[in-house]
Amino acid sequence: MTVASQVKQTLASLKGARGTLRVYSTQTRDDETRSEFIDALEETNLIIEDLEKRLQTLELKEPQYKGN
Amino acid sequence: MQESAQIVLKSIALFFLVWAAIRLMGKRNMSQISPFNFVSYIVIAIVAALMSINLINLIYGFIALLVWVAFPIALDYISIKSKVMHELINGKEAVLIKHGKIMEENLMSVRMTGEDLLAQLRSKNAFNMADVEFAVMETNGTINPYLKSDKKPVTPHDLGIKVAPQAEPQTVVLDGNMLEEPLASLGLNPQWLATELDKMGVSLENVFLGQVDSSGDLYLDLFDDAVELPQPKVKEMLYATLEKSQADLATFALQTEDTEAKAMFSKNSRRLEDLLNKLRPYLLH
Repeated sequence: MTVASQVKQTLASLKGARGTLRVYSTQTRDDETRSEFIDALEETNLIIEDLEKRLQTLELKEPQYKGN
Repeated sequence: MQESAQIVLKSIALFFLVWAAIRLMGKRNMSQISPFNFVSYIVIAIVAALMSINLINLIYGFIALLVWVAFPIALDYISIKSKVMHELINGKEAVLIKHGKIMEENLMSVRMTGEDLLAQLRSKNAFNMADVEFAVMETNGTINPYLKSDKKPVTPHDLGIKVAPQAEPQTVVLDGNMLEEPLASLGLNPQWLATELDKMGVSLENVFLGQVDSSGDLYLDLFDDAVELPQPKVKEMLYATLEKSQADLATFALQTEDTEAKAMFSKNSRRLEDLLNKLRPYLLH
């Protein structure tokens, strides 16, 4: 497995986690817990952005692995 | 014959009258009433009984009932308004154990023996006198012990563990019937319930009890106990996914040679680690 596809895999599972966090940040009734989930959601978003940027550079550097 | 018909009618009328009077006197648990209230209940009962079998004059009986209903209500009202009257009417609580020592005079004044005290403490799960720091007899006769701090049950606070605050669960299905009101109070609609039940592969008629916990997960108990239901494990899964991603990022940071990417990966790995620490009480409990 290439680096790019490994990063892609992690990115995918992080996106899945983001989805679950989003569900909990809407359906949780306790205010404190909900704001905790919303914070976590934002944090995860930042990480995902960073990874996506890295993925772009990787694909630029190793175009042969693009799309894997 | 006429007299028995009269008794029937009187009894029915008095039944409702006494019922209304007792409701009027308050909504306290029978075991928590003060001795004085207990006496008024008995007097009301006896007067009503005598009236219904024609042993006393109806009018005299009504007068007596009126007094015995009105006075407790009036006294209750006064004792709410005035602290002094409250103590006068209901008495004052008596301290029976202080600093771990039994106050014999107070025990005497509430007319209790040592055995009585021990029995009462045992009923509150305080078997060992040495564990009790303080005990008080309330005005209604119950004894409440306060245990020494090293004998008290451990709370998460004592252990320094952070736990997620939780709202009360709402029952949304009972006996195969959907309960609309609690569902609506959660901001959910019947379609949501239908979807959730569909996901677990059960129909509404087979559900004995369904509760939605504070994080919005549905817990079900079926009529058929042989069916094994998957219990919601979404939060544990989420935690595991985040943990795995964190480990992945740490690996990338080690593997990559690009210094900029290395810094980025280790920064995000640390970020995710902090996030996991923060979420642990909410996701794993």
